[in-house]
Amino acid sequence: MSSDAATGPDARAQALVASYARAGYVRTEPPVLQPAEPFLDLSGEDIRRRMFLTADPEGRELCLRPDLTIPVSRDYLASPLAGKPAGFCYLGTVFRHREGLSSEFVQAGIESFGRADKAAADAEMLALGLEATTQYGVSAPEIRIGDVGLFSAFIAALDLAPVWRRRLIKDFNRKSSLKHDLDQLTLASANGSKEYQGVLAALAGSDPKGAHALVTDLLSIAGIATVGGRSVAEIADRFLEQSALNAPTRLPRETRALIERFLSVAGDPDEAAGELRTLASDARIDLAGALDLFETRTGFLAARGVDVRAIKFATDFGRGFDYYTGFVFELDNAANNSARANNALVAGGRYDGLLTRLGAREPIPAVGFAAAIGELAACGGAS
Amino acid sequence: MSAPLILAVPSKGRLQDNAESFFARAGLDLIKPRGARDYRGTIGGLDGIEVAYLSAAEITAQLAQGAAHLGITGEDLVREMIPHSDRRVVLIDGLSFGFANVVVAVPHAWIDVRNMADLDDVATAFRLRNHRKMRLATKYANLTFGFFAEHGVVDYRIVESSGATEGAPAAGTAEMIVDITTTGATLAANGLKVIDDGVILRSQANLVAARNAAWTDAQRETAKLLLDRIAARKRAEAFREVRTRFAGLNDRLLGIAREKFGVESPFGPPTSSGMLTLHCPPDKVHALASFLREQGAEAVSVVALDYVYARDNSLYAKLAAELDKPAAPQSGR
Repeated sequence: MSSDAATGPDARAQALVASYARAGYVRTEPPVLQPAEPFLDLSGEDIRRRMFLTADPEGRELCLRPDLTIPVSRDYLASPLAGKPAGFCYLGTVFRHREGLSSEFVQAGIESFGRADKAAADAEMLALGLEATTQYGVSAPEIRIGDVGLFSAFIAALDLAPVWRRRLIKDFNRKSSLKHDLDQLTLASANGSKEYQGVLAALAGSDPKGAHALVTDLLSIAGIATVGGRSVAEIADRFLEQSALNAPTRLPRETRALIERFLSVAGDPDEAAGELRTLASDARIDLAGALDLFETRTGFLAARGVDVRAIKFATDFGRGFDYYTGFVFELDNAANNSARANNALVAGGRYDGLLTRLGAREPIPAVGFAAAIGELAACGGAS
Repeated sequence: MSAPLILAVPSKGRLQDNAESFFARAGLDLIKPRGARDYRGTIGGLDGIEVAYLSAAEITAQLAQGAAHLGITGEDLVREMIPHSDRRVVLIDGLSFGFANVVVAVPHAWIDVRNMADLDDVATAFRLRNHRKMRLATKYANLTFGFFAEHGVVDYRIVESSGATEGAPAAGTAEMIVDITTTGATLAANGLKVIDDGVILRSQANLVAARNAAWTDAQRETAKLLLDRIAARKRAEAFREVRTRFAGLNDRLLGIAREKFGVESPFGPPTSSGMLTLHCPPDKVHALASFLREQGAEAVSVVALDYVYARDNSLYAKLAAELDKPAAPQSGR
């Protein structure tokens, strides 16, 4: 290798991934051409407009891989290792339309599957991500972290109707929707006006079987044939939920204030954990499991030499992707993070639900990250 | 001769018939010199125009690229097919035909789903229950995405559908659809209903101009003549001419008529002998005639107008203003 190549960005990326391989992560190279379905299903429709789609002669939708997490996950599931602990690293091109930027760009990263010691695995990912910034001479990058699992645990612990729980968790990654939801949450129970009062009143206190019978009769009286999709049971269950919603047992303004208090917690992880324990005890809710995991992880980060006091944690930090279920993080050059919103130098997180969605029979813990090689080369100095 | 102005006109079906009669009413006869199957034509008596007969989708694509200067196509296609459409094309005017709504429709049996908020909740519940997202069949993937994003709905998958979208739920290939409808009858026949606030776009045929076409001075001049005739016809169709004469007809009565009936007096106030010509919206003509007789008119005549040429050419003014704006970035996608 010439000394020129050894100092170029490509050589630095190769060196980075070689070090990941030495740490035990198997180098993998999934095909560039991938079935489009899993990306659309898991990342949501907004990725469709940024993907490069094509079709094979039989009409199956294919795409140029828009990321490597899903391809690596699929290859792992199809391998004999599926379900067992295994880690992979990669360096490759991904294809995503980016306004004003090249749509073909290089990512290096790691995906770690099947490790039960989640807190340690989370901390290891962040530490390995820091190797990427170091490799490119970005010293002391800003570290932003969040924990989607804390929000889920918090919402689960609140006295909320299922419909609100679903909505709040779904909207966690969409800040304007979340604010709208909170407004609705307060309004909906303030005036209590609901459509279909008659049906809801008739259903109040009935069991799923009775509700099912009522909905079946309603459809039959109206002469409506059921076509595809949702079953009568699903419709009946939803009416039941709504009739329960009418029960005036909740204190929505207090609930809203509590959610807002939770979402405003930010700071270094130790401080934040303390605040959240206070919040939990004030509100008499149990967040112990999620907070223990959080604090254990912080401990592992410190043990790996990460300056924990410099980490910026926020409860409302979610990275905008629905498949994250726990720890999320971004590493960025403190100087220009605002210019590249949502395009951090290194970003990743825990996605324990993803492999089940891809067809795994048992849940498989998973955590990983990707480093944006082009951005790193542009931000960092020459090596 | 310099390069002609390209006018793209629908080549098939009801849209073609409507477009041709629209031009004919404006005194613009589309001529196919080499017979009915020709896909290039001209306009009788108006030089410098080449008429290109294309499908509505092709017209939309050509306008987006600037390969045609002007064209007739549905707003639904413009919004769906052209990313950042306002940067690429100008919707000069709605033409009052080709009406169709792009709507969200779900099975009738979903009696618990009335509005988008319900659909949002149902979609998320469906994913949690079935470990997959609800499927939505449509040819309007972009319009759907934008509308659903506005309503915060994320738990759905678009299944591209090229024909008979309304049959998808019954066929089991999708749970819901986004499609165009005029009366809703086809949807109802397929066991579907439109969601209360689920109208994504009220579309009609539009006269559309391409920002990125090469607009030479000669082509602009031609567009001005063309749009002048269209504007004259548009104005003529918006009014009836009402004439009367009686001694008591003065400025005060004209003021009342303006206020009550929305009339205009294109040739000025009543003469000293009380002679007046008014332009009145068609639906107010009879009330105006009654009013004028109550005030003393012996007779009031009403005639339909063929053309009303005004000093300002409002349609061309709109086009010129848009074309003179600073150039839009070329990369839209």
